[in-house]
Amino acid sequence: MPSLKVDGRSLSASDGQTILDAARAAGIEIPTLCWYPKLPTVGNCRICLVSVEGQGKLIPACATKVADGMVVTTQSHAAVENRKGVLRLLAERYPADHLRNGGRGGASPRNEFERYLVQYDVVPTAVETRDLPLRSGDERPGDPMIRHDMSTCILCTRCVRACEDIQVVGVLDVGYRGEHAEIIVGADGDPDKAGCTWCGECVRVCPTGAIFEVMPRQRFAPQQIRHPEKVVRSVCPYCGVGCQVDLHVAGNQVIRVTSPDIELDTPNQGSTCVKGRFGYDFPQHRDRLTRPLIRKGWTKEGGRWIWKGPQGAERRAGPWRTIEGEGRRAKPGTPPRATGKRVRELPLLERLDMDIRDRVATPDDWYSPFREGSWEEALELTAQEMLRIKAERGHDALACFSSAKCSNEENYLMMRMFRGALGTNNVDHCTRLCHSTSVAAMQRAINTAAASGSMREIEQACDVIFIAGANTTESHPVFGAALKRAHEKRAKLVVADPRRTELAGRADIHLQMQPGTDVALYSAMLNHILRLGLENRDFIAKRTHDFEKVREAVKPYTPDKAAKITGIPADTIRRAAETYARGPNTSTLWAMGLTQHANGTDIVTSLLNLMFACGMIGRWGAAMLPVRGQNNVQGASDVGAIPFVYTDYQPVGDQQVRARFARTWGVPADALSLKKGLMVTEVVKPESGVRGMYIMGENPVISDPDIAHAEHWFQELEFLAVQDLFLTETARYADVVLPGASFAEKTGTFVNTERRIQVSHKAVDSPGEARGDFEILMDLTNRLGLPTKFRVAEDVMQEIAQVTPSWAGVTYDRLEGAGLQYPVPTPDHPGTAFLFDEDFPTTDGRATFVAVEYTDPVELPDDEYPFVMNTGRQLYHWHTGTMTRRASGLDAREPTAIVEIHPDDASLLGVREGDLVRLTSRRNSMVSAARISERVAPGQVFVPFHYREAAANLLTNPVLDPYAKMAELKVCAVRIERA
Amino acid sequence: MGYPHKPHPKETVVLSQHFGDVEARTHKGWVKRGGYEALAQALKLEPAAVTDVVKESGLRGRGGAGFPTGLKWSFMPKEKKRPHYLCVNADESEPGTFKDREIMRWTPHALLEGTAIAAHAIRAEVAYIYIRGEFTEPWTIIERALAEANAAGVFGTIKVYLHRGAGAYICGEETALMNSIEGKRGNPRIKPPFPAAAGLFGMPTTINNVETLAAVPHILTRGAAWYKGLCLSNPKSTGTKLFSVCGNVQRPGNYEVTMGFPLKDLLYDMCGGPPAGRTLKACIPGGSSVPILTREETEACLLDYEGVVEKGSMLGSGGVIVFDDSADMVYQIMRLARFYAHESCAQCTQCREGTAWTTKIMERILAGQGKTKDLDLLLDLSENMTGKTICVLSDSCAAPVVSGIKKFRGEFEAYLAGKRPVPVMVS
Repeated sequence: MPSLKVDGRSLSASDGQTILDAARAAGIEIPTLCWYPKLPTVGNCRICLVSVEGQGKLIPACATKVADGMVVTTQSHAAVENRKGVLRLLAERYPADHLRNGGRGGASPRNEFERYLVQYDVVPTAVETRDLPLRSGDERPGDPMIRHDMSTCILCTRCVRACEDIQVVGVLDVGYRGEHAEIIVGADGDPDKAGCTWCGECVRVCPTGAIFEVMPRQRFAPQQIRHPEKVVRSVCPYCGVGCQVDLHVAGNQVIRVTSPDIELDTPNQGSTCVKGRFGYDFPQHRDRLTRPLIRKGWTKEGGRWIWKGPQGAERRAGPWRTIEGEGRRAKPGTPPRATGKRVRELPLLERLDMDIRDRVATPDDWYSPFREGSWEEALELTAQEMLRIKAERGHDALACFSSAKCSNEENYLMMRMFRGALGTNNVDHCTRLCHSTSVAAMQRAINTAAASGSMREIEQACDVIFIAGANTTESHPVFGAALKRAHEKRAKLVVADPRRTELAGRADIHLQMQPGTDVALYSAMLNHILRLGLENRDFIAKRTHDFEKVREAVKPYTPDKAAKITGIPADTIRRAAETYARGPNTSTLWAMGLTQHANGTDIVTSLLNLMFACGMIGRWGAAMLPVRGQNNVQGASDVGAIPFVYTDYQPVGDQQVRARFARTWGVPADALSLKKGLMVTEVVKPESGVRGMYIMGENPVISDPDIAHAEHWFQELEFLAVQDLFLTETARYADVVLPGASFAEKTGTFVNTERRIQVSHKAVDSPGEARGDFEILMDLTNRLGLPTKFRVAEDVMQEIAQVTPSWAGVTYDRLEGAGLQYPVPTPDHPGTAFLFDEDFPTTDGRATFVAVEYTDPVELPDDEYPFVMNTGRQLYHWHTGTMTRRASGLDAREPTAIVEIHPDDASLLGVREGDLVRLTSRRNSMVSAARISERVAPGQVFVPFHYREAAANLLTNPVLDPYAKMAELKVCAVRIERA
Repeated sequence: MGYPHKPHPKETVVLSQHFGDVEARTHKGWVKRGGYEALAQALKLEPAAVTDVVKESGLRGRGGAGFPTGLKWSFMPKEKKRPHYLCVNADESEPGTFKDREIMRWTPHALLEGTAIAAHAIRAEVAYIYIRGEFTEPWTIIERALAEANAAGVFGTIKVYLHRGAGAYICGEETALMNSIEGKRGNPRIKPPFPAAAGLFGMPTTINNVETLAAVPHILTRGAAWYKGLCLSNPKSTGTKLFSVCGNVQRPGNYEVTMGFPLKDLLYDMCGGPPAGRTLKACIPGGSSVPILTREETEACLLDYEGVVEKGSMLGSGGVIVFDDSADMVYQIMRLARFYAHESCAQCTQCREGTAWTTKIMERILAGQGKTKDLDLLLDLSENMTGKTICVLSDSCAAPVVSGIKKFRGEFEAYLAGKRPVPVMVS
């Protein structure tokens, strides 16, 4: 370990540290401008030069590694003069008249750079007397989220490196030379064409605010932005990566979101994506519900609520079109995107001839079937009806959809209420339409339901990344960037996806298969691996059983046979198989592309077979990562908001488990049902027998397959209560709508895709009378007869820790910072970064191979329905759009429904970009605008499922996976016509 | 040979022996003149032995820095774990320098032979020859010569690529050149790491100037001792050097002399001195990046690395720019500053803003709008621009300004006092 002297102080540094690292670690300040944590060091601002004994010249502290015996002086005359010189040169082209006015002492710096000017007493000259002009550059005029004021750019190139090396996008660069050098956006100023993802990494790193976020400036005074009342650590409310974010608050509003620069194992390491950074204004949208809504027709007579409104079809009617009606109807086409044009010529917002917000926001007349009520009324009515249905129709006539967007505590309370107070296990949430098949397959094989590893290990230790059916750069952009960084650095990238996604485009091997043919592909890969003897025999022998069954099962699936089924050349399959097996550390990632099939469990199983046969699990670098879609889909499942288990996947049918929970909750054991409950996709069927529902933060009328039937089913219910932020497409059919709290308005914990429990703190108060979901559930549970006395969410966590062995060591105090990756079995356990290094949590500690057979997707294209339709997410939107379509920046980027069509198909159909097309499946039909894109293969179309006005799920096939009851959301046959 | 003029008796003709001889351009012609014998000789030796010969000869880099070539080669890793690269710097862009151009025009095989020997010595499997974009004629000649050499199997398994520059002066800086070959913006890199540790594509790399490599075959065939003996002054500077003389002399051109040759003889005897009726005023001895010498300094200067330093300048690339008494030094210095401002890669603050600001002030002075504090400002800026940046481009801009103000202050002050006519500015 080298030791050195800095300013007379003896320091010891670690090998590879720079002078800057060593000095800062010791609290010795050296100014920097171009240096930034985690960005490659370029040493171009030259402000950090220091004197080193024996060196003729000043040397850059940021780029010079410490050497033993080095003697450094940071405050030498030469070094200080150089700093002033650099600042003076930069100030010569920087508009800083405001720093002149106050003179010494009175100057008020606005940013990092100006603070140095003041600190080193460099007083800028008046702009009009300067020899050099202010800088210019590409400015993104009209951009809804990010704009530039390049006169304040000091060309530190942090933004360029953040874009290139952190996000691996490469939109920004330095253009021109000498004094004309400036930051450019792509080759012609068009961020869209340059592939910008609006992640805002450039905004984060800019030291002068030359690259800035538009929304705060439109809504808040500069003083408020610079000096927020408070900054609160929270967790991003979108995908399962679980980025830590800081909410800046003023006047009970979130001004802006930044990402903390903390050097911990946080999932995002300081980054966010566009949704996390710019999608925070939905809680302040004018559509927010501020008082409970009660459907007109409910009146209270003689102490009881009675329905006096119309019966039959009119019972839940309103002045709206059904989703089916809206889907079928013609609508305005897509406004032109900036793609292919200079942004200067096409200010995005100005070109939209319609008010985007009015199309997505809740129409005014949707409120007309409701009246505002008090919380007392709303909760009394809800409790009365649920108890009535329980009494009249039985426990299992009630069901709830809990929420993957709500905290662990809220999900726990929800399942506690339904199980403890209402005696039914009909508790489920959207995991059913997400990773339920993964869970089924993983439980069958190794009795687990979560990722084995961590996201950061991909960048740190993985040699081959195998991604199947996951559009990570759009659905989990921050993780996607980490994958790209890993790929840039060392790892090989193999992508199995029917679409040419961004990752597929940059992959070393892209397995572009026909949708739904995964089992054939993975079986063929295993077949080839076995033929070459590349399987991990040691792992198979010591840690698994039943391998021979799989060896037999994959025998018929030669690469040549699989080539016919999947459409991938046999040699490509062979190459992919060899790459996968040779590793040495291969990580296996998958998402909805594998799971959302009627044989999803089999598909995941075949991938697991491949993984176990190669032994690619249980080492740092060889991770099994089913990438989770929502911020708390893992946690909601972990705390038991699924129909067949309590917390920690303890089965509901186990008497002992039941006894323990009954004891904890203070109810008689037989009040808890031993019968497995119904799953989301089973509930929404006439034969389910469910007559009363409580839905928290979900919108099944958009997200369920074959919406037309689902929407009808909800209208037939006896009672429906919905707890949400907005009057959603589902909530409009409710009897009672309870206004809940957004992520910024409550404290709670969330579990991300790598089993990391993180705590999110309350930043602002809910608007009007809207209440925290925790309070609503507490109140209702008490009214339903289960006494509940938690003061704050933290109390709920204490109870969860009591009944959840793998969370036993979790406390709120320990979750501050980067959180904890469970299992955390004891209060001093540090958490678990990766699992299964020695054995699996099965009875014999071994993994089970399960032989599976390939079956065709349920619906194949034919003459009548010649296209295969695939559904999924877009970068700018999220799920049913309840949040993102009310986030102004996000919605401006992607304002209308689209369907991606391959250029060849488009020209055959005579369809141009933006034209309306009608998609018809065997179930329904809907109209959407075409986006011509080579991301889809010919013969396939891709429809995002975020849009009410063109809901993809009108068309999807409600056929279910036999094990997990997952619907076939990824494959259905459609016909396309011009509309 | 003082090509395009007849050789002068005082010249020591080694590299320029075949300048003007069209036949020497062809492989056949080159072999006839004894070419590729050195390569054959080198290939019989171990790489380290070749390096030792070059070390022994005292050959120093002719691109400007004068770093001992053999020593540079010996920095390459002894144990070969990764690919080794050789880069040939043929991006000759230094104002006033045109020696590499003539070597490539007339004796392309000398360069290729030197390249092959160097590649053998450093055990490189790939060599890149980075040729200045504006060199259209040398490009075609080298291209043809390379095809012939490849057909004749000169390079064996070594792959040689020609890479054409796109007009940026900074790409002649060794690490910027590597970035440029890699397809990146031509920005110099921070050193360390030096190229021998992490150069082109991050691999161990040696980069040599054209003239340096062209001298290597002669050293091998005629021996290190012979080369070492070519020395008129300081024994640390050996061999011959091509000097490109331009400006106010009667016979500008390339002259090859032994190290330590008097600059005075080069200018007066070989180049015929200033035009009739004019007297020598100043001289930049080593390409535009070095300090200016006064007449007295010039006439006392010996042309080797140490001799020029002794007089307060540097030998640099050997581009000698001569000014007679008609030259307006303020204007000349403004032209130099403007060149550097135009060519700054814009990475480092001092260079990006400093070169531009210097130019603006110089232009202002020339326009008769100079302020009395401008000279101090210029010196202050130059101080700020010297020794603080990643590469030496900003130092190069500061050098003529500082030496110019020091040595020709009267001319500056005349402008500031409004006593000089405003010259016609060429922009």
